Amino acid sequence: MTVSFILNGEDVSAKARSADRLSDFLREAFALLGPRSDCRCGHCGRCLVFLDGRLVPACLVPAFAVRGKEVVTIEGFSQTADYSDIAEGFKSAGVESCGFCAAPRIMAASALLERHPRPMPREILEYMSCAPCRCTDPEAIVRGVVAASELRARRLYRRAGQ
Amino acid sequence: MICVATVRSPTARGSVRSIRFPKLPAGYRSILPADIPGRNAIVSFGAEVPILAQDKVSYAGEPVALVAGPDPVLLEELVASTKVACDEEEPQLAWESFSSDQVVAKRIAVVGDPELAFSIAASVHEDVYTSGAIEHYYSEPQGAASAYDYDKIAVWCATQWPYHVRDSVALALGCRAEEVSVRPTRLGIHLDGKLWYPSLLACQAAIASIVCGRPAKILLTREEDFRFTPKRARSSVNVRAGLGKGGELSAMDVRIAINVGAYGPLAEEILSQAVLACTGAYACPNLRIEGYAVATNTPPMGAFGGLGSSHAFFAMEAHVNRMASAMGEDPADWKSRNVLRKGSRLLTGEPLKEEVPYEAILARLVASSDYRRKYAGYELVRKRRSGRADGPLRGIGLAFAYQGAGAFLSGDSSNSYTVEATLDKELSLRIFTSAAGGAGGVRDVWRGIAAEILGIEPDKVTIATPDTDQVPDSGPSTLSRNVSIVAHLVERACLAIQKRRFRDPLPLTARSVHRVPRPIRWEGGQVSGSPFDTAAWAGTVVELELEPWTLEPHPLGVWICVDGGRVVAPGRAAASLRSGAADALGACLIERVDPTASPLAYFRYALLPLEDLPPIHVDFIEPSRRAPVKGIGELPFDTLPAAFISALSQAADSAFASLPVTPARLIGALGVR
Repeated sequence: MTVSFILNGEDVSAKARSADRLSDFLREAFALLGPRSDCRCGHCGRCLVFLDGRLVPACLVPAFAVRGKEVVTIEGFSQTADYSDIAEGFKSAGVESCGFCAAPRIMAASALLERHPRPMPREILEYMSCAPCRCTDPEAIVRGVVAASELRARRLYRRAGQ
Repeated sequence: MICVATVRSPTARGSVRSIRFPKLPAGYRSILPADIPGRNAIVSFGAEVPILAQDKVSYAGEPVALVAGPDPVLLEELVASTKVACDEEEPQLAWESFSSDQVVAKRIAVVGDPELAFSIAASVHEDVYTSGAIEHYYSEPQGAASAYDYDKIAVWCATQWPYHVRDSVALALGCRAEEVSVRPTRLGIHLDGKLWYPSLLACQAAIASIVCGRPAKILLTREEDFRFTPKRARSSVNVRAGLGKGGELSAMDVRIAINVGAYGPLAEEILSQAVLACTGAYACPNLRIEGYAVATNTPPMGAFGGLGSSHAFFAMEAHVNRMASAMGEDPADWKSRNVLRKGSRLLTGEPLKEEVPYEAILARLVASSDYRRKYAGYELVRKRRSGRADGPLRGIGLAFAYQGAGAFLSGDSSNSYTVEATLDKELSLRIFTSAAGGAGGVRDVWRGIAAEILGIEPDKVTIATPDTDQVPDSGPSTLSRNVSIVAHLVERACLAIQKRRFRDPLPLTARSVHRVPRPIRWEGGQVSGSPFDTAAWAGTVVELELEPWTLEPHPLGVWICVDGGRVVAPGRAAASLRSGAADALGACLIERVDPTASPLAYFRYALLPLEDLPPIHVDFIEPSRRAPVKGIGELPFDTLPAAFISALSQAADSAFASLPVTPARLIGALGVR
C-alpha cells in the first residue's frame, strides 16, 4: 500500500507492507537512521518520534497508521529552535550520552518542556526514563533539562517581546 | 548487502542429528560448519567457542547454521521453518553443587595454617553469599558487517577488543591477520558485554560474505541478544572467617563457585580476579581459598563491569559487616583495625606497595552521610523493635574495596600493548590507539594529559579512528585499562615527543609500549606474582528504608568517596561513578536474569527508573599532581552491593546474603512478623 503523510515538514509518500513498523519504514523507505529499530516492544525508547505532536515509540506504530498524519524524527527536530535550546542546555550541564540515547532524551525533554515549562526534578527523571540507558548520570540530566528550560523560556520571552 | 540470520539449537545439550532447511528462494543460501574456510572456533583466554556448533550443542540457542539472503523479513520466516533435530541429553544446570566434569577452571590458594588458626579462633562466622546474573542492557544489540575491500576483508562491529576480532576472523577464514581490517563502530556503554562476543558475530558475518561473495551483515534482535549472549556470571561464595579475641581477622576459608555457562570463555580470568579479591581490603595471615569456574548448559556467562572481583568483594564486605554487627561493633571500626596497610602481605605473598587511604575515605563518608550517628541510631531501633510497624525500618551499610591497575591475572593473550602519537607542524597531536572506540570521557582524559604535557590546547589533540590498519594494538577496553594503561602510554608517548620537540624537526612521532607483567602463577596451592602495583580505593555508604507494608526497599542516599589517583576530568569521573552506582543499585533491586526462564522474561527486564534513584553523592580524595591516573569504573560495582545488603539486613533485622533481593525473600523474612 502507499502511505502518504508529512515527514519532517515535507509531504511524502512511499510503499509499505502491512506488517511494517513505522521505525523500520522510516529507516528503509526514507533512510532516516535517527529512530532505531531496537527492542521492537516499546521498552528501549530508541525509536521515539513525534506523531501529530505526541511522543510515541515508532516500533509500536504500524506504518499504515501514519497516513495523513505528521511525523517528526530527530532529523527534523534537530532543525528547530527547541532542539538548539535542549542541546545547548545538555552541553552546558555536561550531560554525557553514549550516543544511542541522546536523540530520544532530547525529544523527551522537548515533550516535557512543552507540557511543564518549569519541570521539577522528579518529573524530569520520569520523562527521561522513557529511554532507559546505562550511561545515565541522573544529576547531569536534571541540570541539563533545567538549563534547557531556562534557555527556552528566555527565547520565548524574547520572541513575545518582538 | 545481504542479511544473515542464525539457526539455533532447540536443546540445551545434545548432538545435532540433522538440519532441514525449507526450500530456499534464489539469492538465499544456508551456511553450515563445513562452509567455514578456516577453523570453526574463536579463542578467548585459552577457551574455544565454536562459531557454529557442529556435532555437540552446549546451550539452547547456540548457533548451528546461518541463512543468508537479501530480505530480513523473509530470512526470519526461513529460519523459523528450519528444523534442527538433536539427540537430546539431560542438561547440566546445577552449579552451586557440581560434578568434577563441569569444572573448567580451578584455583586453590593456601597461606599460613588455616586449620590451626580456626581451632584457636575466639569466634567463627560462616555464611554463603550469592549474586545473580545481570543483563548488560547495552545501547544497541550486538551485530557485525563484513565486505571485501580490495585485497582485504573489512569487518565493522562495536567491540571492546578490535585486535581480538581481527585475529578471530583471520583464524576463521584461514588467512593472515594482516588480510583482515577491523573498523570498530560506536560502542556506547558496554559494561564488558562486548568483550569477546563481537568476535563471534564478526566471524559469522565474514564467513557469510566470503561464502556468498557479497557484503553481509548480522544483527541480533534485542530479544536474541537478551536470550543468547553472555550475561554477568552467577556466583556463590561461602565465607568462613575466624576472629581472634580482639576481633582481629585470624583465619579465612573461602569457596567460590562461578557459573560461567557453556564453554567458559572468560573463566580463567574471572576466577583469578575473584580469588585474588577474596580477602577484600583486609589482612589475614591464615587462608584457604578454593575457586571453581563451573560450566553449565546455559549461554556463556562472563564479565559485567569488571571480571570477577565484584563477586568476592560483595561476599567479603557483607560478611565483615555482619561479623562486626554480631560482635556489637560498628563495622567502620572493625575495618579500621583490620584493613591492609603499606607492607601488608597480599595473597601472593607480595607486600602492598602503597598506603591504604581507608581513614581518609571513612572520614569523608562519615562527614557527608552522617554514617556513624545513623548506624548507631538504626542499631538501637533494630534491637528495640517489636514488630514491623514499630518505628521506621531503616538501615545503613558501608563497604570498602579497591580496583587494581588493569592487568590480566590469568596470563595475557598478547605480549605488549602500544600507543602511537604524532605532533605535526601545525602543533596538532594525533593519538593512534585501538582503544579509541570507548566512551567519550576517556578520550578527554587522554586529550587533557597530552595537552598538559605538550602545552597545547586540548582541541588540538585528535584521536585517530581505531581501524586496525591504522592504529596499533592497545589491548581490550576492560578493567578501566583505557585509563590505567592506555592513559599512561599516551603520557609516555607525549613525554617522548616533548623531549625531542625543540631538537628535532616536526612532525615527531613516538610509540610507547606496555609490556604485560609477569602473570600470576598458581602452583600446588601457592600463588606468586603481583596482583597490582597500584590501586584505586573507594568506600560507599548506602542508606535505605523499607516500606512497612509493601516491604519495598527505598534507597534514601548513596555516598561514594574515591581515591583514584590524579583525576584529570573530575566532572566526567563523577558522572561515571554516579551512573555506575545507578546501575549497581538497579542490580541490587530489580534486575534479574534467569538463563533457564521462558523467553517472555525478556519483556519483563527493566532498568531501575531514574525517578526511583536516590541522591548519589560522589567525592574524591585530592591526590598530589604527580599521582598516577587510576581506573575507577568498577568501584561502584565492587562496593555498592555489599553496602546495600548490609543496610537492608539492618533495616529488616534479618540477614540477607543474596542479590538481587526479591520481594518473595523480603516477605519470607519479614512478612510473618
